[in-house]
Amino acid sequence: MPTVVLMDVSLSMTRPVSLDGIEEFQRKNLAVHGLNMLFEHMASNYRLEFTSLMAFSSLWELLVPFTRDYNALQEALSNLEDYDKTCVEAALNGVSNVVQQEWGSACPCQVVLVTDGSLGIGKGSLRHSLQTLKQRGDDKKFPLPFPFPTKLFIMCIANAEELQMTDAMDNLEELLCLSGGDGQIFTMEGPLCMKSVQTMFGKLIDLVYSPFHAVLHCGNLSSDVQVFPRPEPVVMDEEVEPMPRTVSTDLEIVGFIEIADIASPPVISRHLVLPIAVNKDVDEVGTGTTDELEEEPSASQMAGKSPNFCVLLHGSLKVEGMVALVQLGPEWYGMLYSQADSKKKSNLMMSLFDPGPEPLPWLGKISHLGPISEAADNPYGEDDSKSPFPVQPQVKRSYAQNVTVWIKASGLQCLRLLKCFLSLIKKRLTIKKCPPTVKFM
Amino acid sequence: MLFPDREALPSQGFHQICKMKMFSVAHKTVFVVDHCPYMAESSRQQVECDVLTKSRAQGVIPLAPVSKSLWTCAVECSMEYCRILYDVYPKDKLVNYIVSDSEFHILNSWRREDQSTHELMSALAAVGPPNPREDPECCSILHGLVAAVESLCKITELQHEKRIALMDTADRVANRGRIICLTNAKSDTHVRMLEDCIQETIIEQNKLAAGSDRLMAIQQCELVLVHIYPQGEDTLVSDRPKKEISPLLTSEVHSVRAGRHLATKLNILVQQHFDLASTTITNIPMKVKEEQHANTSANYDVELLHHRDAHLEFFKSGEYLHMAGTSTRENGLKETVTLKWCTPRTNSIELHYCTGAYRISPTDVNSRPSSCLTNFLLNGRSVLLEQPRKSGSKVISHMLSSHGGEIFLHVLNSNRSTLEDPPSISEGCGGRVTDYRITDFGEFMRENRLTPVSESSHDPSGKLPAERAKAQLERHTRYWPMIISQTTIFNMQAVVPLANLIVKETLTDEDVLTCQKTVYNLVDMERKNDPLPISTVGSRGKGPKRDEQYRIMWNELETLVKTHAGATDRHQRVLDCIIACRSKPPEEEDRKKRGRKREEREDRTEKNGSKETDDKSWQDSERSVGLMDKDEQESEVIKDSPDSPEPLNKKPRLTSEEIQPPERTKGPVSLLTMWSNRITAVNSRKHQEFFGRASSVNSKFELYQHLKDENGMDVHENGKATR
Repeated sequence: MPTVVLMDVSLSMTRPVSLDGIEEFQRKNLAVHGLNMLFEHMASNYRLEFTSLMAFSSLWELLVPFTRDYNALQEALSNLEDYDKTCVEAALNGVSNVVQQEWGSACPCQVVLVTDGSLGIGKGSLRHSLQTLKQRGDDKKFPLPFPFPTKLFIMCIANAEELQMTDAMDNLEELLCLSGGDGQIFTMEGPLCMKSVQTMFGKLIDLVYSPFHAVLHCGNLSSDVQVFPRPEPVVMDEEVEPMPRTVSTDLEIVGFIEIADIASPPVISRHLVLPIAVNKDVDEVGTGTTDELEEEPSASQMAGKSPNFCVLLHGSLKVEGMVALVQLGPEWYGMLYSQADSKKKSNLMMSLFDPGPEPLPWLGKISHLGPISEAADNPYGEDDSKSPFPVQPQVKRSYAQNVTVWIKASGLQCLRLLKCFLSLIKKRLTIKKCPPTVKFM
Repeated sequence: MLFPDREALPSQGFHQICKMKMFSVAHKTVFVVDHCPYMAESSRQQVECDVLTKSRAQGVIPLAPVSKSLWTCAVECSMEYCRILYDVYPKDKLVNYIVSDSEFHILNSWRREDQSTHELMSALAAVGPPNPREDPECCSILHGLVAAVESLCKITELQHEKRIALMDTADRVANRGRIICLTNAKSDTHVRMLEDCIQETIIEQNKLAAGSDRLMAIQQCELVLVHIYPQGEDTLVSDRPKKEISPLLTSEVHSVRAGRHLATKLNILVQQHFDLASTTITNIPMKVKEEQHANTSANYDVELLHHRDAHLEFFKSGEYLHMAGTSTRENGLKETVTLKWCTPRTNSIELHYCTGAYRISPTDVNSRPSSCLTNFLLNGRSVLLEQPRKSGSKVISHMLSSHGGEIFLHVLNSNRSTLEDPPSISEGCGGRVTDYRITDFGEFMRENRLTPVSESSHDPSGKLPAERAKAQLERHTRYWPMIISQTTIFNMQAVVPLANLIVKETLTDEDVLTCQKTVYNLVDMERKNDPLPISTVGSRGKGPKRDEQYRIMWNELETLVKTHAGATDRHQRVLDCIIACRSKPPEEEDRKKRGRKREEREDRTEKNGSKETDDKSWQDSERSVGLMDKDEQESEVIKDSPDSPEPLNKKPRLTSEEIQPPERTKGPVSLLTMWSNRITAVNSRKHQEFFGRASSVNSKFELYQHLKDENGMDVHENGKATR
């Protein structure tokens, strides 16, 4: 799930932070420090995430397009310049364009907006944007909600009291609400200093960028894995089941199915399943300390040489052309399969089905899939010539049976009958002309 | 409007699935169709019967066109509505069909088995056309409307199931519904009267429902009143958009001419009511079979209806605005998205990244192009569909495919993937290992494939089939080495029968026999000194010696079987057999195996006493030998077994046993012992075994047995043992 970092570079970000003596910081410095920390964390713990950096004031600029090169992002941060006033609406339009161009409108995206909470004045300010929300034509719509699913995280380089003195907090809350309500506003606690900005970004990291670790089980065989990107909670029906469902950290394989039988099923998300060395998951949220890096090669080499179930599973799934049906939680399933990219690199991938007892009609209820050993005859045949799938529905659909819809005259089957009648009539006429000895039928 | 205002969209969770609520008004639809005498009137839309007789023979009287009655039109269109509904939502979007004349006739119930066009058609056939001679005074649509409200209060199977499943929060199950009334109203006042009547009935019924378990109060009811009038007449009832009559009831009025217009109206309504959208598949190549154009091919278009989420990507990105095939419904034309048939077909072995699959229903199910397309798909072929883009680039966005007699429109992802360029699996943990048992695991996967088990078949354990599948995986993986160099037995063809059987939940006597045969076969191999497929990877030199190899093999086999021994007595018998066979050396190998006996005996003492009797006696005799050894060399030798019983009576010294004890000790073996052992072993092969030694008991043989019989003397000389 790609991330856009939207950095406020208006003049107000250069306001100095009042500290007693020693060093003087601007709010911008604090923001950059926080973002550096975020990028460092991602580089070591979440490096498959695509991130882009945008700066905005009254205009916006894409500083770094979507990349996994966190050095480039950090470098761009160090070269930020200061501009004029804050104009959030324009920047959000920019985000919308950039994301859709790169990922289309279906790909969920995370937006990290870093600002000091002074949201501009007059026309172009967030206050003005929100006030005029209802009086716009189709061509000048407010960019939120984005067409793609969004998580909006607003990192305020200011504390909550400061924001509540003006209407900034209300405006930001409204913004979050407009974006679809998924996300959070973070403010700094205590004095504005390096430490509190670290705490604030630490919270963001814990919430959004901590790797999702799970254990993949197949009977007694198992492997520790990281699932990337983090599987998101899913709400199926807000009325009947308002609590979101979350993926369990124990992924249990139920059995195996041929690719032809599972037949390109619809999925709600796809995730890489990466085997991890067990000792690694102790320090999840570390900031990626440098001394650790030195040990890593040897540790990973060791891990590379000890057999791992994921690799075995991946190899066999690939060779056999099968998928593994995996249970993600109560009445929630997914599938594991081998996915190769254009460069012939292949990997173990997990797709999540819609939560529910029967995500794929052609498999029937998943809880009613049993081992083939229980069947009297092997349902796949002795030579794999048949398959118990797809499960046939009890009632045939209209196009699979001989229904007749009479609405259009062309659909009237009776016309064919008429045609027959007519030909009969014709025949009778010819018969009548014949000598009277010949009787009609 | 097909595409909802963005502002009107509910705030969505992240991956919230954009489906309508389970119990929205769409869950229950009641059709109330007027069956009063005036419905027998002609619609005045003529059906030409004469179209096919171009070259009419002389003297044939031209056929007069016929026209359908209002009733026929109403039935046809409502059935078409149901057909589309059942095609797209075969489950849990329910229809209750009511016909009203001098009384109401309920043609089906909310039950799932009653939900099919076939059921409804048969019921309608039984009702027959309206009787024009019936007294119009006692006929009214009101009977049906009252029955419709009552019906909406009745609980459906899904509502019942969910209420039971939710227990304390059963009130989350809502009761909403829609009434579609097809009638010929007299005036706007008449319509208002009908609305008021429904409102009153709802309040009345809700009171009743409050005190009943099988009834639910109506929370929301949507009335869609369709006024049908014959063509060529002016309508007496005006159209009215949806308005709220009370918090419980909304109402809308559509005034439509019978015939074609009515059909179009209901087609639009079913799309609105069930969030459907239309796709036109264009450029379908079809052979023309008509006489004039034999063997030529033409391209056809087919329109399909499906859930509108299949177009989510289009209307989000605004792309639909530019598409050639789209036009707005306001113009009276159909709004549809055009997708182009793609000739390169996909094979079923490919796993596409598909973000949604939606059931379809052709709008014109009988037409030849439609049925050609659906039959093509039902025969198991899939078609990729291409999205026409302004830029001219080719993007495959959808796929049509059938699964079990149902056709689905799959939405394929055509955007850049956020998972591109991942680290290859060979770069991660375990990636450097090259000797995974890929083929064996493939075989394992085949054995653990799934199959649908009928819901009626009940397992005695009370476990669901999926749980039993997991239990099978657990059994099959109790001992499953992942790499070839970690295992011996799974590289041996000879072990296969046993390995396949032992993982079973229960064994038959025959299975046990097969397992035992496998074990005997291994014993045989060992005696013949057959080579074992032991990996030499990681060990220096030639790897372990042959007898060491067998020891490893037996250990592994025992480990495998031990994990299952607890399951049943028969499993235990297989284990017993292995233990017995591996530790009971054939006599000619007796000596050779001495070196291992101590270890084996320890294994045995761990085991319980459920051994065959001959095995036990052998063990006892072994032990007594050990005891004697102890007596001989107390000074140097560590006790064989700390809990060995004291000898009952002291046996005479046996000089020939001297060299054996060190082999049994746990302490280090001296060079002398090793050397003498070797010499002994070599020498023993060079001469024929003495009769006495060969038939000795505990390496002892009584000499001069015949004298004993003759003299009655007790001779204490024992047979010489190994020297």
